[in-house]
Amino acid sequence: MAMRLIRSLALVAVFFMPFQAFAVLKVEITGGSDSALPIAIVPFGAEGQKAPEDISSIIRNDLESSGRFAPLDNQDLVSRPTEQSQVNFADWRLLRSEGLVIGKISSQDGENYQVQFQLFDVYRGQQLAGKRYQVPASGLRALGHQIADVIYETLTGEKGIFSTRLAFVTQITAGDGKKRFALQISDADGANPRTVLQSTQPIMSPSWAPDGDQLSYVSFENGKTEVFVQQLLSGQRKSVASFEGINSAPAWSPDGRKLALTLSRNGNPEIYVLELANGDLIRVTNNAQAIDTEAVWSRDGNDIYFTSDRGGRPQIYKVSANGGRAERISFEGNYNASPDLSPDGSKLAMVHGTNGGFYIAVQDLKTGSMQVLTESGRAESPSFAPNGQMILYATEQKGSGVLAAVSVDGRIHQRLSESGTVVREPAWSPLKK
Amino acid sequence: MKHSIVQNLIAGGASTILHVLLVLLLIFSFEMPTEIRQFGQPEVEIVQATVIDEDLVLEEMARLQEAEDKQRAAEEERQQKLDEQLEKSQQELARQEQELLDMQERAKLEAEKRKQEAEQEQQRLKQEAEKEQQRLKELEQQRIEQEEARKQAELERQKAEAAKQQAEAERKAAEQAKQKAEAEREAAEKAREAAEAKRKAEEEAQRKAQEEAKRKAEEEAKRKAEEEAKRKEAEAKRKAEEEAKRKAAEEEAKRKAEAKRLAEAKARAEAEASLQRQLDAEAKQRTQKRIAGILDTYGLQIQQRITRYWTKPANAQTGLLVTLEVKLIPGGDIRSVRVIKSSGSEIFDRSAENAVYKAAPMPMPSDPDAAQKIISEGIEIYFKPE
Repeated sequence: MAMRLIRSLALVAVFFMPFQAFAVLKVEITGGSDSALPIAIVPFGAEGQKAPEDISSIIRNDLESSGRFAPLDNQDLVSRPTEQSQVNFADWRLLRSEGLVIGKISSQDGENYQVQFQLFDVYRGQQLAGKRYQVPASGLRALGHQIADVIYETLTGEKGIFSTRLAFVTQITAGDGKKRFALQISDADGANPRTVLQSTQPIMSPSWAPDGDQLSYVSFENGKTEVFVQQLLSGQRKSVASFEGINSAPAWSPDGRKLALTLSRNGNPEIYVLELANGDLIRVTNNAQAIDTEAVWSRDGNDIYFTSDRGGRPQIYKVSANGGRAERISFEGNYNASPDLSPDGSKLAMVHGTNGGFYIAVQDLKTGSMQVLTESGRAESPSFAPNGQMILYATEQKGSGVLAAVSVDGRIHQRLSESGTVVREPAWSPLKK
Repeated sequence: MKHSIVQNLIAGGASTILHVLLVLLLIFSFEMPTEIRQFGQPEVEIVQATVIDEDLVLEEMARLQEAEDKQRAAEEERQQKLDEQLEKSQQELARQEQELLDMQERAKLEAEKRKQEAEQEQQRLKQEAEKEQQRLKELEQQRIEQEEARKQAELERQKAEAAKQQAEAERKAAEQAKQKAEAEREAAEKAREAAEAKRKAEEEAQRKAQEEAKRKAEEEAKRKAEEEAKRKEAEAKRKAEEEAKRKAAEEEAKRKAEAKRLAEAKARAEAEASLQRQLDAEAKQRTQKRIAGILDTYGLQIQQRITRYWTKPANAQTGLLVTLEVKLIPGGDIRSVRVIKSSGSEIFDRSAENAVYKAAPMPMPSDPDAAQKIISEGIEIYFKPE
């Protein structure tokens, strides 16, 4: 009896044996918070001449506007160090701040400024980034964006886009009742706008050359649609497509040597590729029953995405840049148009029409799944930020066209321009080389 | 009074001495001088004079006179008494003297008497010596007479001897006859003795037989007794052996039982130990299960807390995975955070580490075992974007 008991117990023991050596506690964290990264940006210390720009405020606004950072309110800052030796990391840990930015700005003459900043990892007490600059007073704002880019990139691993620019078309009605159109460029935050082209006739479809130094656009200034390419620094420009019929929707190839265009020189709007160096023209699409337009290059330059109503309703298709059979890309809903490809080529942003409204949507090109990012029903002209995180678009607010941006996950929404001016047709510049 | 005592004493002593003297006189001599001492008058006390007060003196004198008168009277009386006593003593002495004279007279008479007796004795002794002389003469006479009688007797003896020899012959004849008769008597005696011997032999045989029987019986009895003894001894031996055997058996049984008991106890102890081990193991497993249960719950707590603090990089791509080893101190604060396996993205890794740091201090399980396990072994935390 006893032996049997022992034996059975032994069996039980053997049975239980594998459970004895259970491993350490394992915890899996998925999802995480979508909230912004808490960061402390301490107002820079100032010495000498007062700076015309508040650099730390520019940095703070940039980071905050990205939606990716949640800078502490200045009133919540436990201390205001301007040098590393003054930093007590424990204080900042209590605030759950992951990053800490401190800096100094000084000038002897009020013309040239010495600026330095440091970014710290609060929990490890390490400096993650730190630089010194010397800039003229006029460069202080740009420097602020640049520093914000460094911080952004350091903390997110993505390129900062605060030094990039936006191109867009404004329309104002002048005192004489006449409309004025202007092609403008601004900083990424919508500030510091400057006019590239002004016209009494409509200006449409600005498109950035990959080098960021040129723009192509459509202008009606000559009473018809015409595609121009313009050097931004010199202002020099030239007409590159002025064919009979429609000349519209220019799109730079990734190598900057070609423009994809919509031309109706043969009667029906089709996609063409123009070799800028010699003007050679290749017809890419050939579908007399449909409108093919709004071309955008794949990142390798081999393919072209475009909008076509060849299926009856506008949808996104893809075709080889050398022509050939087009492949339908969008399937959800009965209206998808105005595509823009993400910088990494993985997503397609588009205007998605549904229930009489038009929304910005993103389609994952691998999975085909589409996500609608905006809520207002009057969105148009999506354009990816060069880091692929935001999508700039035009929309209407109180009857006026405004610029807005949304993060690719739809979480962050920004409005970039004040109402009062009609702003349309935005395009986000590439990164500065 | 003093004087009278002395006088008494002297009188007493004198009388004693007198008696002694009288005895001595009786013994040694009748002519002993008798001396009687006459006692003198007692001296009058001289009173020392002391002049005090005249009246007092007078009074004193009167008193003294009176006392003197009294004393004189007393003295007179005493003197009278003494005279009387003296008279008495003289009378006594006279009496004693008369007695002494009487005694002297009696002693004289006695001596006279003893002298007469000695004379009588002398006379008697003279008579006795005369008698002895007479007796010796008679004795010589008798001796002579006896010698003659002896010689006469010898003759008679010789005569008697002859008669005796004759008598001897006669006696021999008689002796032979007597021998014959004796032989006959002896034969008869022998026959009688033979018969007697026979009877005795028979009796002896019988006695012997009886003795034999008795002996045999005794032997038998002895044998039986011996046998009995032997049997008893054997029995005792057997019993002893049996007892020894039984004891040995008992011992053996006891030993075996003990051995069995020990073996059983050992087996039981082993079983118990084994059981205890199993119980311990089970208890350990229960503890581990309990801890595991607590850790499950704790894991969820930790998960929720860290997730809440994790600011996931917005561009984090699916497939990223970072593994952190987090060590805590008892209060739940971070001892260390270490990237065990990087996601390949520094940003992603850092976001995970920061999530852990921001979540600190971590809650700790109230169960000390579980808490200890967490503190000693740390926590492995995986971070995945989705």
